[in-house]
Amino acid sequence: MVQGGETMIPTLAGRIQTRLLLFVLLGIPLTALFSWLWLPLYWDLLFLFLLTVLATVTGFGLIMDVVYIGLQRLRWDRDWPFAYQFFFSIVEFAVVLWAARAGLIPWLPADVLAGTEGLIMASSHFATVFIPSFLALLGPISVFFIRWRFKAGQLGKL
Amino acid sequence: MTVLLTFNVIELDSAGQPRGPGAPLEIDETGTISFGSSTERNIVLEGELVSRHHFDLTVSDSRVMLTDQNSTNGTQVNNMRVGLAELGQGDVIEIPGWRLEVTSLSFGVSQTEATVSPQGFPHDVFGDDTLVDVGTLHSHGYPVEERKFCAVGGGLGSFTFVDHLRCYGVSASDIAVIGTEKVSYATYKRYCRDSQIPDHERLRSNSLSTPDNIWGFPGYASREAFGGLLRGRLGGFKRVFQVFGEPTLAESYTPRAGDVFDSLDREERRIDWPAMHRQGQARCIRKLSDGRYAVAYTMRDPSVAEADRRRIIIADVLHLATGYPATRFVDDFQTFIVNYPDHRHMVHNAYAPHDQIYDAAEAANGPVYVVVRGRGIVASRIIQRLHEARKRNPQITILHSMRSKLDPTSGARFGRARRQVRTNIEIQPFNWPKSCWGGDLRFEYERADVAKRGAMLTTLGGTTTAERSDWIEIIERGTEEGWYKPVYGSIREILPHDDSPDKVMIRVEGEGGHRAELIADYLVDCTGLISDITRSSLLNDLIETYALPRNHAYARNGDGFEKRGPTGLDVTPDFEIEGLRNQRGRVYASGTVTSGGPYLAVDSFLGLQYSALRSTDHLVTEGAHGVKNLGPLRSAGQWLKWCRGAKP
Repeated sequence: MVQGGETMIPTLAGRIQTRLLLFVLLGIPLTALFSWLWLPLYWDLLFLFLLTVLATVTGFGLIMDVVYIGLQRLRWDRDWPFAYQFFFSIVEFAVVLWAARAGLIPWLPADVLAGTEGLIMASSHFATVFIPSFLALLGPISVFFIRWRFKAGQLGKL
Repeated sequence: MTVLLTFNVIELDSAGQPRGPGAPLEIDETGTISFGSSTERNIVLEGELVSRHHFDLTVSDSRVMLTDQNSTNGTQVNNMRVGLAELGQGDVIEIPGWRLEVTSLSFGVSQTEATVSPQGFPHDVFGDDTLVDVGTLHSHGYPVEERKFCAVGGGLGSFTFVDHLRCYGVSASDIAVIGTEKVSYATYKRYCRDSQIPDHERLRSNSLSTPDNIWGFPGYASREAFGGLLRGRLGGFKRVFQVFGEPTLAESYTPRAGDVFDSLDREERRIDWPAMHRQGQARCIRKLSDGRYAVAYTMRDPSVAEADRRRIIIADVLHLATGYPATRFVDDFQTFIVNYPDHRHMVHNAYAPHDQIYDAAEAANGPVYVVVRGRGIVASRIIQRLHEARKRNPQITILHSMRSKLDPTSGARFGRARRQVRTNIEIQPFNWPKSCWGGDLRFEYERADVAKRGAMLTTLGGTTTAERSDWIEIIERGTEEGWYKPVYGSIREILPHDDSPDKVMIRVEGEGGHRAELIADYLVDCTGLISDITRSSLLNDLIETYALPRNHAYARNGDGFEKRGPTGLDVTPDFEIEGLRNQRGRVYASGTVTSGGPYLAVDSFLGLQYSALRSTDHLVTEGAHGVKNLGPLRSAGQWLKWCRGAKP
């Protein structure tokens, strides 16, 4: 008679698909909006740059997903609490930002992200994309993709 | 003579004690016999607390069924409040002021009568055919209604299925629901109330397990937060933080029972549930020659004349969600009730009404010993209730009977994970590990072969409770102060105490044959309900008529797992009962009647929604019944209608 459940609990395929879904549906348009507001004159250049940053963070996240799945299997419920999701998303961004500023990522010129200005811009952009994406995970994705929560974050039929 | 059923009818005084030895009552013919305080009944039982039409006995040549007629104070069979129950010898029916003991029950058909086929509804319509000719259905004079979809059960399982159909765009005029209760959550609410979860207490359910909303968004936590905000309170945001932090930073959020029932009321109105609902008892289901199905049912609606109550619904697609059939107690408990009816007030099942023991324990002016048996969520709640009672009577002692001691490292193991144990009880937020609903364990279980399923079912299931700081504190403080005592061992026997007849004696055998005797005032059994689907005459008839395969229970045996008795109906991953396919006709099921099948968490809000979604999607895929797919845009459109409270 007892009840239970949780919103989406991801598998590896589900993590990858959800990440790409959020990148396309929220990441690209929000990056364009942010670039246009931040630097109206050269928004297209900024857009391409920030999209590259976001793609790098997403790519790094896809690699990390393998690690997360491993950790998940150690948990009895095999779940991934929202708090972990929140924390590790910020860690992923911080690692990429640090590496780029240190000149370790060839396709991300360190000088664009240098100094306090670069830090503020990158962080503001990340927050603009991350907060709506995180909120979308809490339920709104199900409004469009009703099977998503039962399919461990994958799209399509059950 | 085909049947002989005899009762001993005993009138009780206000304390529930017999006024005399009782009078015999004999029933030797098939048919329906009505009981109640009205003189129109076949058997009149007087009393202020007896409803005018309290219950019916339907006697056929193979079984006797009791049906409560929505009586105000309920009908109990063997101390369990029932809506419908099959009676057997030794069973005890109780209504306020009266006790009816089944002293004998025998079925026998003499040679001359054997050629006479059983009469009466619905056998007169269906006969012995497994495929009934549709043309003959109308010739019997019973009202026949034709719909595309018919949901049988009328509880939360039927509701979630019908809610999906409606949100997928099926018109309410294409759907009929047969259920004994008017509202979909009536039975669920009764179980909650009896197991001491009143409306203001919280259920063991997730924020996003929303039986009133097929998307699971917004969940109950955010509704509670915003509802609080509208009333000028910020406290609700604690709930949102809970969802964010659970289960690591905060205790898991669980919704208030009353909020869930209110939300179901709203959704019932929105999807036109009352217009689809036929209050009645489904009797029999048969395949029809044209690829449809016929459901024979008896109306419960008191506004419908007696003669007009037997009806038939014809439908293309059926959904069965009849829930727990007549519930059964564990054997030792049942034995005690039958052998010592005078001592029945001392032993209670936690799912049956038993408020009187708290009242009596609180009112007592001395020590009261209560044995709580089991370590599930209900046991936790009962211990909490007894802890509350201790505020009135500090001399209440809780003896917690558990099969064995559980140290912190002996929780169940699966893969590389181990279940947590606190105060001898395994901890798990919900009744299955969370990923059984939609995570990797769901996939793993669905893909598994029968043997692996058995292993997973045994390992991942089992009795657990939620990690609630108040519950842990009660046990820790009780242990310290001496009013909570764990008792380890299997209960071997329950007997009235020889020296003091107002006490019950419980013989316990621990590991290594160590024996102990517990003397207590009350025993509350929290080991749960035993669901035996063959006790439902509707399901049993279907299983026998169409030779439907069943799932099986498993038990650990040494290093392996062995097959045990049959459990639920075998269904496909889309929750279809394949054995009932009839050309284009399809029959689906959900809830506890499908337990042991391709999904573990069938008996939960979210599990019911999952099965409903699978079945509705299957209808879409097959394309034979005009159900349109719910793609992203239509889904969002329907969701907006839900938000506005507009009809789907």
